[in-house]
Amino acid sequence: MGPVAGWLRNKLRMRLGLICLIASAAVGQIADQTVEYQVKAAFLLNFAKFVEWPPNVFAAADSPVAICVLGKDPFGQALDEVVHGETVGSRRLVVQRISKVPAPRMCQVVFAGSGEKDLPEVLSSLGRGVLAVGEGDKFLRDGGMIAMVVENRRVRFDVNQTATANAGLNLSSRLLTVARSVKN
Amino acid sequence: MRNFRDIPISRKLVIIVMVTTTAALLMAGLGIVAADSILFRAELRRDLTALTRIVADNITGALAFNDPKTAAETLASLRARTHVIGACIYRKDGSVLARYARLSSFHCPPPGQGGGIRAEGDHLTASQTAVLEGKPVGTLVLLYDLDELSQRTRLYGSMVLGVVLVSSVVAFLLSTRLRAVIASPVSQLARAATAVSETGDYGIRAEKVSGDELGLLVERFNEMLAGIQSKDSDLKKALAEREAAFLEVEKERERFHFMAESMPQKIFTARANGEIDYYNHQWVEYTGLSGKEIRDWRNVVHPDDIGANIEAWQEAVAAGQPFLYEHRFRRADGQYRWHLTRARPMRDASGRISMWIGSNTEIHEQKEREAELRRANEDLQQFAYSASHDLQEPIRNVAIYSELVAQRYRNLLDDDGKMFLGFLHEGGRRLARLVSDLLAYTRAGVAEIEITAVNAGEVLKHTLAALAEAMRESDATVTSDELPEVYMSEAHLQQVLQNLISNALKYRTDEPPKIHVSAAKRGAAWCLAVRDNGIGIDPRYKERIFGVFKRLHHDQRYGGTGIGLAICQRVVERYGGRIWVESEPGNGATFYFTVPQHARTVRSATV
Repeated sequence: MGPVAGWLRNKLRMRLGLICLIASAAVGQIADQTVEYQVKAAFLLNFAKFVEWPPNVFAAADSPVAICVLGKDPFGQALDEVVHGETVGSRRLVVQRISKVPAPRMCQVVFAGSGEKDLPEVLSSLGRGVLAVGEGDKFLRDGGMIAMVVENRRVRFDVNQTATANAGLNLSSRLLTVARSVKN
Repeated sequence: MRNFRDIPISRKLVIIVMVTTTAALLMAGLGIVAADSILFRAELRRDLTALTRIVADNITGALAFNDPKTAAETLASLRARTHVIGACIYRKDGSVLARYARLSSFHCPPPGQGGGIRAEGDHLTASQTAVLEGKPVGTLVLLYDLDELSQRTRLYGSMVLGVVLVSSVVAFLLSTRLRAVIASPVSQLARAATAVSETGDYGIRAEKVSGDELGLLVERFNEMLAGIQSKDSDLKKALAEREAAFLEVEKERERFHFMAESMPQKIFTARANGEIDYYNHQWVEYTGLSGKEIRDWRNVVHPDDIGANIEAWQEAVAAGQPFLYEHRFRRADGQYRWHLTRARPMRDASGRISMWIGSNTEIHEQKEREAELRRANEDLQQFAYSASHDLQEPIRNVAIYSELVAQRYRNLLDDDGKMFLGFLHEGGRRLARLVSDLLAYTRAGVAEIEITAVNAGEVLKHTLAALAEAMRESDATVTSDELPEVYMSEAHLQQVLQNLISNALKYRTDEPPKIHVSAAKRGAAWCLAVRDNGIGIDPRYKERIFGVFKRLHHDQRYGGTGIGLAICQRVVERYGGRIWVESEPGNGATFYFTVPQHARTVRSATV
């Protein structure tokens, strides 16, 4: 672990540590797994901000946007720290950890790590209104919607727009322009 | 450079029109350019604000996912806006995510605080915070050059200049045609005025071409010229008349001078102001002066006389009154001789003095004779006075002692002796009176006189009181009119009245004497008259009776010394008066004498 990463870890305790993290990532210095997932946690949060959900996917008008980590959690505390205090529109953002396919209206974003088994089945059972985010090139082929990949030591992402459209989700064009590739 | 005031009016009008037109257009043009510049800046700011907002919105994704490539691509779209110098996207921590530069020399400025647009030198700096879900995720800074503005200003400026140039040409052409409306009447007037002043011909008139103020000016100018023309001709006529009169006077003067040269007397003439302009040959010869500078009467008058002389001459000239003056002139041999100078003003038809004509007559010998005579007379008087004074004592002795003899030795004398003594007594008394009258006569000549106003009536009263006894004896009546105040010594007036009245009592007929005293104004004097009903005087003796010892009657009936009337004449003449008598024998006589009405100088010791 290099001196930059050590300095970053200290900073992470702060509420705005995320931005510093992105800055660090921009330089392309993904030092190790921990830093990689800190970046990914920030991406996960940002995805939620560029997605438009139909109103019926929420249990109530003031229900929060729930980001659910399915199965093994690779983020550790990083995700909670990033999400803490964030909002989308008038809704709060919360992090939940789940071990099986969530009930309808329970999760709006589901992160399935690359270690999950039977991904195609899980993803296909998620139902409408849930944004499926994963990692690795294979995730989209398995039926995922946004796949985060590491390329040239930088975190990028691919989007399967057909899948999001089928799920009734509307992705912001600004998200799409930033994506590495968009599959229609 | 010529002063603007001196430029002809037509040029002035053109210049004024040009200057005002150009100034107005320039002001308007500048106003338009300035307003456009302001409006354009505002427009530019609005445009820039919109642009930065759009770009900032478009880069939120790139900022959120830390994607410099996308951010750079987004910024690259600014290439279409040629005035964008460059743009930078900053992350929240201030580091640069992406930049766009039109020129390679562009460097990202440090991210500014806050948003908005600032003008910095030749460019605008717009910054805009990129916000994602209410949270700032980065900042966009965009630099925009103002070339457009200056281009625009240049364009508008050259348009304004073009308009001004074209308008000036049009204004010049128009005003060149229109200035004639004002300038030609004015220059016409000026030409007329110049012609009048150059030729002196007031018959010239300016032509009236318009009905405005200029037309009015021309009209008034012509009226003024007409007025001047008539006054000018009057003036010329008056001048000609005056010239003719002057020439006439000059001719007269020359004629007179020619005449004066042939006269034996010393003659001079003077201008109306008293300045002597001519002395005849005799004058020059007598004084022996020659040459212009010494040919001046002031040089020949005796130094003791000159002061009063000049004063008297100036007074006469100022009053226009004839001049009469006695003074001493220096003859060529250096001797001062007495002269009587007379000068009279000569007047022209209008009564103005045109010149003075004067003469200087030598009266030196006459004057010397007078002085000799006066001296002789004074000696004589002195002699008469002392003689009569010294005679009084022995005569009184004769009278007293003849009286004593008559009283004490009356019985010792026979009839012849008594008669001789009577003659002696009578002779002594007469002699005493004679001497006392002589004294009075001489005193009337020498005594100093103090003159005050006296009431002649009062003096008459005193006189009658003194004569009361004689009047009673002769049973006389004396009446009088109201008598005036006269300037004469009381003693002298009484002396005269007493002499005249006692004469009237003396030369009476058998009738009781009736005497009347009256007064009448005669010029500047009073004329007093004493009328009686006595024996009268033969006109042949009218003058003789006033001489000393001139008695007409040696009759014992009319006693007297024969000096009384001489005393009266002496007194009256001393006051500058005159005494005379009018009478017919048997019808009484009236004595008249004049006395001064006002105070005046009385010279003592005249003949």
